[in-house]
Amino acid sequence: MEEPRGAETLRRYEEINEKIKRGDAVVMTADEFVEYAKRYGVERAAKEVDVVTTGTFGAMCSSGAFLNFGHADPPIKMFKCWLNDVPAYKGLAAVDAYIGATAISETRGLEYGGGHVIEDLVSHKEIELRAEGYPTDCYPRRYVETTITIDDLNQAILVNPRNAYQRYNAATNSTDRVLYTYLGTLLPRFGNVMYSGSGQLSPLYKDRWLDTIGIGTRIFLGGGVGYVIGEGTQHKPQDALATLMVKGDLKQMKPKFLRGATIHRYGVTLYVGVGIPIPIINMRVAKSAAASDEEIFTEILDYGIPSRNRPVVRRVSYAELKSGKVLIGDREVPSSSMSSLAYAKMIAEELKKWIEEGSFLLTRPVELLPNYSEFKPMPLRRYEPKVRDVMTTKVVSARPEDGLKDVAKLIVNYGIDHVPIVDASGRLVGIVTSWDLAKAIALGKEKLEEIMTTRVITARPEEPLDLVVTRLQQHRISGMPVVDGEGKLVGIVTSDDIARLLRGRPL
Amino acid sequence: MKLKITYNKQHVDKPVLSNVVLRTGVPINILDAKVSPGGGEVIVDVLAPPSKVKEVVDAFISEGVGVKEITKAIEADASRCIACGACVSPCPVGAISLREGMVEVDEAKCVRCQACVNACPMKAIRVL
Repeated sequence: MEEPRGAETLRRYEEINEKIKRGDAVVMTADEFVEYAKRYGVERAAKEVDVVTTGTFGAMCSSGAFLNFGHADPPIKMFKCWLNDVPAYKGLAAVDAYIGATAISETRGLEYGGGHVIEDLVSHKEIELRAEGYPTDCYPRRYVETTITIDDLNQAILVNPRNAYQRYNAATNSTDRVLYTYLGTLLPRFGNVMYSGSGQLSPLYKDRWLDTIGIGTRIFLGGGVGYVIGEGTQHKPQDALATLMVKGDLKQMKPKFLRGATIHRYGVTLYVGVGIPIPIINMRVAKSAAASDEEIFTEILDYGIPSRNRPVVRRVSYAELKSGKVLIGDREVPSSSMSSLAYAKMIAEELKKWIEEGSFLLTRPVELLPNYSEFKPMPLRRYEPKVRDVMTTKVVSARPEDGLKDVAKLIVNYGIDHVPIVDASGRLVGIVTSWDLAKAIALGKEKLEEIMTTRVITARPEEPLDLVVTRLQQHRISGMPVVDGEGKLVGIVTSDDIARLLRGRPL
Repeated sequence: MKLKITYNKQHVDKPVLSNVVLRTGVPINILDAKVSPGGGEVIVDVLAPPSKVKEVVDAFISEGVGVKEITKAIEADASRCIACGACVSPCPVGAISLREGMVEVDEAKCVRCQACVNACPMKAIRVL
């Protein structure tokens, strides 16, 4: 029969802490424990080892810090507030604020943001504080501008709503352009694979069934001591996608393990170092702590598909990801990580040292985390205009073998700018615009085939217009043919059609 | 070997590169070029053994342009680099690897495309 979650059948927290205080607890990093269990078997490893330390160091966007500035004289009820021109959340009491990792500087853009402010605070750097208020009888001041350091603050508390994903999906790109995503640069045509997470060092994967990590678990956080305060947002443990909400005193943390980062054309984030001690309290914990990179799997998703449901390209182990080469189809493509394995190892080592020195004791959670939690999508209850609502279905088209003059006539007679070119079965093979015709005359070309664009940007009837507008801007074009699943031309959508929609033309 | 060729105002309307290629018979790959009427800079990769490279360098000198060997194309700031790997697989020529908590660049492979500069979340890499 399965033991209940959290069962302390191998050893109790009190026994472990007594050993830590005496200085004879047996502590291993997860890397060491995996090797040890491989060599001597998991039964023996479980009997001998008290604690396994873990670590991860990656981009964790759902991070931020509560700050209390103290009161100015005369005082201000801050209504809006900026730290180094990065807006902080001010829907709190007069001088409390929350600086979120992904907030962006209003003067420097993506180059500097909330993550950098947090790193600068931890580095004891001076920070420009600017705030606006509205005068009240108790808070007469309207505006304040000064500089602060972390030492001036009454409290600086890191509170991260979602950290330390148990694992994360890897990413690749099927399209023919470079994509800049939160998983980094993805080269075209499956040119590389990017991943995140520390695999066999991952804190939550080493306690896969959440036997030991719960509310009140003491952890390594950003180089200082922190606590788990609950499950994180989007927690989905049934799919090995558990997450944590954590807090810790920012004043004790170190800039080495809390770094502001800019992900190219994506945004600002904070790299957070998290390390969790896993007490080997029962065999289920021991087995999950002994899981090696070969046994820890994730999915490679195609980030070329701009949908919530990105297609799975294949399942892959962390061992293969970490090897630097991943097989896609029959091709080996380079893989690399967004999170730092070197730092994850450092964190597991550091936490091991703290425990061995007796300066870090383990805590039994006050409550375990849910082991099942739904992750629901956002309901879209307002109707969003789709391509099919505005596209023209009676499309004027031509065939590749048609003459330039015929196409020029079509453009003039119908007052259009784009003529899609289709083959005998109605499949789209190219497009010609009035500009192409002008160019053809200038260069003395005569056949349509010579001047038509063959790599055509297209839309699907069921696509939201929002995405089509982005694509028109991205490629600096004014219209695109609409094709069905088989590539057959079913309509055309132009910026004029979208403009008409904005003018309030009934759909 | 990679060379930085510096143009003055009087060189910009002359086919300097073509002259050098025709004269030496050595294939040259242009990695980066910024030339305006007032002068400019071209980075080239000379695909030849060292003895031939010397010939190319002399040819450039006789054309009157400045020549400097580039030994290091990009530099990673050790105090910012966290050895994550964000720059490794996006490098189109596979010039970057991770070694002992730092990135290592194979200068011979690097084509100065700057993909790594953008890919680095710590903004630790710069092109020299």
